[in-house]
This record gives sequence, C-alpha cells and structure tokens, in this order.
Amino acid sequence: MKATFFVIISFFIGISMPCIIQKSYADPLKILHEALPDRVNAWTAEPEDRFFDDKTIFDYINGAGEVYRAYNMQKCLSRRYINPNGPPVVLDIFHMGSSKDAFGVFTHDQIGETIQIGQEGLYQHGWLRFWKDTFFVSIYAEEETVAAQRFVKKLGKAVASLITNRGAKPRITGLLPSEGLQPRSLRYFHNHVVLNYHFYLSNENILNLGPHTDAVLTEYNRGEASAILLLVLYPDEKKSMKANKALLRHYLPEVNETEEVVMLENKKWSGTKVKGRLLAAIFDANSQGLAEALLREITKTSNQD
Amino acid sequence: MGRYKTVITRRDFIRTGSSVALGGLMGLPLLAHSALKTPAKSRVVLIRDQNALDKDGSPRPAILQDMLDEAVTTLCDTPDPTIAWKQLVRSDEIIGIKSNVWYHLPTPKPLETVILRRLLDAGISNENVSVDDRGVRKNAVFQRATALINIRPMRTHHWSGLGTLLKNYIMFVPSPWKYHDNACEKLGAIWQLPLVRGKTRLNILVMLTPLFHGMGPHHFSRRYMWRYSGLIVSTDPVAADTTGARIIQAKRNAFFGKESPISPPPLHITAASAHFALGNCQPDGIELIKLGWKKDVLI
Repeated sequence: MKATFFVIISFFIGISMPCIIQKSYADPLKILHEALPDRVNAWTAEPEDRFFDDKTIFDYINGAGEVYRAYNMQKCLSRRYINPNGPPVVLDIFHMGSSKDAFGVFTHDQIGETIQIGQEGLYQHGWLRFWKDTFFVSIYAEEETVAAQRFVKKLGKAVASLITNRGAKPRITGLLPSEGLQPRSLRYFHNHVVLNYHFYLSNENILNLGPHTDAVLTEYNRGEASAILLLVLYPDEKKSMKANKALLRHYLPEVNETEEVVMLENKKWSGTKVKGRLLAAIFDANSQGLAEALLREITKTSNQD
Repeated sequence: MGRYKTVITRRDFIRTGSSVALGGLMGLPLLAHSALKTPAKSRVVLIRDQNALDKDGSPRPAILQDMLDEAVTTLCDTPDPTIAWKQLVRSDEIIGIKSNVWYHLPTPKPLETVILRRLLDAGISNENVSVDDRGVRKNAVFQRATALINIRPMRTHHWSGLGTLLKNYIMFVPSPWKYHDNACEKLGAIWQLPLVRGKTRLNILVMLTPLFHGMGPHHFSRRYMWRYSGLIVSTDPVAADTTGARIIQAKRNAFFGKESPISPPPLHITAASAHFALGNCQPDGIELIKLGWKKDVLI
C-alpha cells in the first residue's frame, strides 16, 4: 500500500515538476505573449510578433530606446494589428524587470486623459498606455478614428486583465509631501540623462546619478507659490554628501549653513539639503517660503529605510 | 570628444539670461568662445512648392526635380543644374548619398532618384554612387567615398530634440547610443571621423511633411505632421538645421497657441557650430534665400 502510494506521488511530482519550473523561471513576457488576443473587433494580429532587447531596441524605435534602457528594460514585445478598413495599431509591451521601473518609464510622459485601464492608464490622440506589475504597455493607433479608439481601449483592457499582479510604486515617492504636489509632473528615474530631459541641470553628471540611485522630480503649487523639487536617495550617506557638495560647488555656491535657499539671477529661489542618504534640492521656486517649507518637510518626515 | 569636459549647468544659462529651453537655438553661453572657426556666412536656400505633394501626400517627382534644381542652382549661383552639381562634385568621385529610412518619415525615394540623376548628369559613374542609411558602415561605396550628399526629413526627436542633418550621420558609428548623452549634444564629433570628415558636399533637409511634435514610444503621430512642402539646401549642415529648427519652433508655437520649446533642446546644433566648427547657427551668419510658395512660410 505504502509502495503504491509512493509510486503515485512520485508520478504526480514527476509530471508536475516541469510545470512548476516553467512557472518559476519562464519569461513573464513570453507567458503574456502566449495569452494575447489574435483578434479584437475587426483588427487581426499580423503573423509575426517581434521581440527586442536593450540593444536591439534602437533598431525598432531609434533614439527613443534610450528611455527604456534608462529604466532597465529587459525585453520588448511588438505586435501590429491590422484592419482593412482602419489604421494599423501597434501594441508594445515593455518588460522592465521591476514594478518601480515600469512606473518610472510610465512617468516619462503623463499627458492625456485618465482612463481606468491597468495602473494609472492614460489616453491621448490614439495612444493608450499604462503600467502594471513589471510591465509598461503602449497601444498606439497610427490614425485616430472612432473605431480605432474603441479597439485600442478594448485591447488595453484585455492586456491589462492578463497581467494579474499590481505593482508597487517606488518607495521614494512616499517621501514627497502631498500638499501641492502636481502628480502629472512627477518623474521617477535613475540617471542624469533622464533628469536633463525633464529638467536640464548640467552637461555632466554632477549628482552622480545612476542605477544605484532612486530619484524623483516633481512640481509643487501652493496657492500662487510654485517650485520644482528633486529628491535623490543614495545607497549611503557618504554618496549623498558628496553629491550635495558637487551641487553646491557647480550650481549653488551661495548656499551655506545659515542660508539653505538663495535667490538666483532669474529672481527665483533654489536650495539644497541632505539628510542621511537623501538629497533634496529645490529649483526655480517663485517663493522663498515654499522653497524653505519643502526642504523642511522633506527632511523632517523622511523615513529612508 | 576628449577636450569636452567643461561643466555647464543650468545656472550658466540663468546667468547669461538665455533660456535653457532655447539653448539649442540661441547659443550655449560657455561655448561662444570656442577657438575653432566657423565659416563667415553660410548660404541656405529654402524652396517651397504648393504642389510638391499630391492629395494623398505623396511627393510629385517632377516638381521635386524642379525644386531641387532651382535650389542647387541658386546655392551655386549658376543657371544650369548640371554645372551646379559639377561645382559640388568631380566626375571621378565616389559618392555616398546618406539617406534616412525611419519607418514613419523616410527620405522620399523620388528625391533620392532625382539626386542620383543629377549626379549621373554631372559625370559620376553609376557604380561610384550609392544610397544607404543603416548599412553605410558596410557599404563598399561609402567605405571608399570621397564625397557625401546628406539628405533626410526633419522631425522632432525624442532624445536629441530634433532629427537633423547633423544627426543623420549617427549611423557612421558602431555604437550610436554612445552619442545619446545630454540630448545627443556631441553628435558633431561624428563629423570629425575619417569616414566622414570634410566629405559632405551638399545637405538637403526635407521639409515636405515635417514632424513638429511626437508622442509615444515611436515618437510619432500624423496629427503632428503638416504639409510644408519645402526643401532646405545648403553646404552648411548647421545653418540648414538651424533654419529647419526655426520653422519647427514656429510651427509648434502656432499649433499649441503658446511658446512651446522643442524638447529636449537640440543642443547638438549649437555645439556643432561652437565646438566642432561645422557651420553657422547664428542668424547673422546665415544668408537665407527663400524661393517659391510664401504662404505660412514661418520664417
């Protein structure tokens, strides 16, 4: 009896093990790929889907590939849907490896109307995009028609439903004061090339940003007062201090222990402060009060662990 | 690229009162004192024809031929297109026509054909001329080329601000992404490489249906293209790009109803002038000749 039981158990372990391994180690993008619909409304997928990695992505989307590389893109799947009576629609699914990078690449462009698809879906002139789990999904109609718009949204919902997990936002976003935060202006990133894209700071990487740093840039409005806030979380305090020193040397030599914010030649206020691993910098504030308040709030409440 | 180490910050722009957003067109503050010399004055011909495109937006080859002939003869101060081309290239030369195959907005084939025809008219042997884009590094004609003709459509570009004539040579390097830093500011360095240096005889910026704004991973939407129906022709790539950039900027401002700077700023245009002495980007260094259709010329 015991021997029979052992044989049966062994048999089930034997046939189920490959599935478990496949599930554990399979490429998440491939799993998603296999489940994608071939036909939605009058649009049908072209026979050949294409995959790109962090090098071949340039062959596909030219210099724009740099954005996805900056967020640790693992792989991109591109599928084209065609309809004899409608515009082609391109589905691009980027597997970013982590949910914080999927969120990050999503924040690169936040123009559009909010749509309840995926996490924080946005729609603009035939282009739908959202992030979910470790994926950034873009669906783009080469021409916006009523039918194409309907298809894009339906396909978006279908893809989003295939991604079962939700992703967590980077923890650094939780350090931002909520009052006056402009969510659509928020950018999460790692490297200085992306910083310069959104807010030109310097031709050199004076803040020593890179894969090891988490950074967030955002705008604040409180009444008539406005400011830009940059937060960078470094691996250790030594690095945050060093970056702050470089920022002071190259950009804000007037800042000192008694004056954390100073008025620059454009009549706007800038300043910087370090607390532990966190560097906070304010740029182009039209109010000294807001600049000081943001620095104070950040460094007072921040829990960097 | 080795000498390019000065730290330039936003503060430098603030100090000089120049807008960072417009930095690419206005001149970088610290680059203005470059020791390198740019040409005194660069001639740029902008030609437009209302009928350059058919109703579907496809270029009309015969009209493109006329436009290019008129532009090149004006540029070279001679009435005959063949003579003009002979001023640009010798009959014994080996010529690469650097095109652009970007899926959404490639160099129009009829324009490539028109250029080929004029080169053959000027006495170039058929086997000594080739059109290529992504294969230029392996193309036997390009490897032996003594002269280059540079042609591409202008468009906004996700990473460099603008897809320009200067940027069109990025396929001459094995690792294009190495030039992506700081909005591709150092693209001018590519023009110093042996495969390219001093070989460019003519630059043609295609402004038939430019892209003035982009969106999405592909940075493209037909919504942001318009029928400008023009060509910009010059021996100076920087002057041609600067002229194109001014038109794109004007279109953006008109379309969006407010100042809408090209983003990111096309720093590589100014840097190509100030650091790499590839041409003129300042208005007083450009002799702009406008020919043809004047409506909504934007410059």
